[in-house]
Amino acid sequence: MILSEADAQGITNKLLALSKADSCIVTIGGSENRHVRFAQNMATTNGSPSDIEVGVESHFGKKSGSASGTDLSDDALAALVAASENTAKLAPENPEFMPPIGPQKYLTGTAFSSATQSTTSATLAGAILPVLQQAQAKNLQASGFLSIGTSFSSFATSKGLFVYDQETDVLHTVTARTPDGTGAGWAGTTHNDFSKLDVAGMGATAIDKAVRSQNPVRLPPDKYTVILEPSAVSDLLSIMIGEFDQRAADEGRSFATKKGGGSRLGEHVFGKNVTLYSDPNDPLVPGSIYSDDGQPAQRTVWIEGGVLKNLQCERYWAQKSKLAPVPSPTSLTMTGGTTSAADMIKQVKRGLLITRFWYIREVDPQTVLLTGLTRDGVFLIEDGAITKPACNFRFNESPAAMLNKVIAMGPTVRAYGEESIGIPTAVPTLLVDEFTLSSVSDAV
Amino acid sequence: MRNAAAIEAADNLDLAGKLRLADVALDVAKKGGASYADFRLCRYQTEYLEVREHRLEESSSGISAGFSVRVLLDGTWGFASSPLATEDEVRKTALRALGVANASQPLQLRKFVLEDLPTYHDRWDMPMKVDPFVVPTNEKIAHMLAINEAAMKAGADYATISFAFVREEKCFASSTGSRITQTRVRSMPDGDVTVIDKDTGKFSSRATLAAPRGSGYDYILGYDFAAEATKAAQQAREKLKARPVEAGDYDLVLDPTNLWLTIHESVGHPTELDRALGWEANFAGTTFCTPDKLGKLQYGSELMNIIADRSQEGGLSTVGYDDDGVRSVGTEFPIIKDGIFVNYQSAIGQAQLIGQKRSNGCAFADSWESFPIQRMPNVSLQPNPKKCSLHDLFADVKKGIYIVGNGSWSIDQQRHNFQFGGQLFYEIKNGKLGGMLRDVAYQGSTVEFWNSMDGIGDKSTYFLGGAPNCGKGQPEQTAPVSHGAVPARFRQVAVLNTERKDIA
Repeated sequence: MILSEADAQGITNKLLALSKADSCIVTIGGSENRHVRFAQNMATTNGSPSDIEVGVESHFGKKSGSASGTDLSDDALAALVAASENTAKLAPENPEFMPPIGPQKYLTGTAFSSATQSTTSATLAGAILPVLQQAQAKNLQASGFLSIGTSFSSFATSKGLFVYDQETDVLHTVTARTPDGTGAGWAGTTHNDFSKLDVAGMGATAIDKAVRSQNPVRLPPDKYTVILEPSAVSDLLSIMIGEFDQRAADEGRSFATKKGGGSRLGEHVFGKNVTLYSDPNDPLVPGSIYSDDGQPAQRTVWIEGGVLKNLQCERYWAQKSKLAPVPSPTSLTMTGGTTSAADMIKQVKRGLLITRFWYIREVDPQTVLLTGLTRDGVFLIEDGAITKPACNFRFNESPAAMLNKVIAMGPTVRAYGEESIGIPTAVPTLLVDEFTLSSVSDAV
Repeated sequence: MRNAAAIEAADNLDLAGKLRLADVALDVAKKGGASYADFRLCRYQTEYLEVREHRLEESSSGISAGFSVRVLLDGTWGFASSPLATEDEVRKTALRALGVANASQPLQLRKFVLEDLPTYHDRWDMPMKVDPFVVPTNEKIAHMLAINEAAMKAGADYATISFAFVREEKCFASSTGSRITQTRVRSMPDGDVTVIDKDTGKFSSRATLAAPRGSGYDYILGYDFAAEATKAAQQAREKLKARPVEAGDYDLVLDPTNLWLTIHESVGHPTELDRALGWEANFAGTTFCTPDKLGKLQYGSELMNIIADRSQEGGLSTVGYDDDGVRSVGTEFPIIKDGIFVNYQSAIGQAQLIGQKRSNGCAFADSWESFPIQRMPNVSLQPNPKKCSLHDLFADVKKGIYIVGNGSWSIDQQRHNFQFGGQLFYEIKNGKLGGMLRDVAYQGSTVEFWNSMDGIGDKSTYFLGGAPNCGKGQPEQTAPVSHGAVPARFRQVAVLNTERKDIA
């Protein structure tokens, strides 16, 4: 369910008027989605879900409690305020309580596309049909998901803040497999604007990789020079940015903790060619104009020329540590280079090209050591050319270590990996040295 | 305090009112030409409490209510949902579902066909002793503060504990005439303690071994979290100074607090029929366990018996009927029998594709806005019928490791290659349990691993683990699922040391 700014403000005002608390926060969010899902060259679970949620957080002194609901009727809204106030009254005082913020200045959001909002299920099906036909013509099985959505959210406080944002999202992922299960290829990305999405092109990439990846050669586990395509890079960086936390670093439980105490802000933690930032108005990956605690999202540089420049810092910790608060990011961009994937391949004496990763989990937060697997397209590079499809591997590697071993970068592009769910990302293809592949996987 | 007003407001529909809405949806679907349709109206009441060290971090409650309509139109599925439960909105939503099916039909190169579905008129309520939603919130918070107090007193630098509760109420109606209402509750504790060594910059955590359960608050009261927190703080400190493991092959004795997740990943997921049919190829993956292996594959050693059920007390998948309206309670079936792979888990419209008659009741949708897909029942390793204790399993291990609790976990999309960590690792030397080790993870390949199992505990060692958040499907859905396990011994498993010394 999508509420206009006026309707969201109307409900917000009702809730604020009902509040008997010292202060309160009102949030509303909703979405309308349409998707086609397909597997084995046929439609499976197509849908059109719609949802809404309204939340109230009430404060009495330093006591807080919150409640949320899906019912917008007057009775339900009154019950919601009462529920959050009852919860707050039963809470012990929180010494870290921070009063809600007042009016803020926000950027103008750029993540909404009317072309996406008006896209119909029939248009989605029409975009997918040629992909299924191409796959069939090559005796492959195509599976995938094409989803579009419009969402809105608002954040208001009893101190006079009201902010409303509307976004559109597109997600397209497609896998092609050979019927005998010896070859698989994938392509996918997110976007805000459906009219700019190259559905057929991604289908062709997945199909091409499925054909070329058949009967992979089994290689030994080792440290390999690898070309990581954007989806793989997006996964690793998305997980890493979650670890960029000032409090955890100061408390001594982060990769960003300095030996002996404090954080490593200002240190050369990464290679000199690495710059990572968030910008809600980045034309490649526009994000929400406000962060989850209502603070304005703004351009924030996390890593500049290898130096750790910023860590996310909640309001309480910022006040306590006399730092500026750094809200959590709403998008993520890595500055790229100019080396094309083809030129990277030419530079590699022996290495692997990796399409994407799967099932990544943190093994050791001390070093951000992650494990996961390659999937849907690994190719052996020998003497500057792709020579054979290669088996899948398990990796045990840390993005913090990897960002010290980047040899070359491609241009930054919008990217999506299954682990980069939180925020949209734009990253380059990376040529990386000594990437640890610890065992072989028989999966195709 | 129970928020009676909030519950009442969201509960303004009685059963007759819900069924009236169902009739509207099913009528629109029928008139629109659907060969099958169902309607689910659900309400989820939630509470989440989190305490950090000595202070309450979060106390929140929620009610999420809405409905969905699913139609099968000339062999193509269409689905739509809405939070607004009025007759007019139900009619519009049913039309939207028909519209989605209609629009997707050009992609239906093969039509979905459903088996004959049975009709039920029933009500099922999970048996429960103490309803978590009638226990006052401040009482729960006081309990949590006392747990963290114990951890801090025992030397933890940081401690987090959270309690999450869900009451799930579902009303299901289908075009075959079924009308089913069900209620169940989940109690899901979580937490960990962390200790810091400022001089070395090292830190170590130990998470609770308590599992989420399909139980009431009596489960929370019956688990001694404070005693565990005390022990956890000491163990986290001990782990900082523990001997790093030397990589190599070891015999492993896996505690059921570790093994349940290995079962989930390497037995639960590979035996999902939708994966075998290729329907999850783009996301959750396919499986090595293809239909030609049914009844033939020696999945594991003869000691391996895995049962799927939806009736186990405390099970997160325990429920009377699945979200396709297929009766599931009391219909347990073996997945692995004496080491042989004998059954898949299935939802409607799948069994015929491998020559079987009907679904075995394993559909689940995680919300009123989600399409029911095939999800796991409780999938559990059966105890040894012969007497065998945990310590009996250590007896003939020369060089081994005993692993307790879950650490990180990862497995490939066809479920061959896995890597699991743990919370606590102890050396086993010449049949005796020794000192603590650290930085341990084990890697294996599913069939080889399960065939190396040569000892399992008896029923006195049985433990019901589980996860509240198993991911699958697009859009992704998270399912709660339990796994019963006994400790088991595996021979010559690859162990790696996970410390990275090259990262400053």
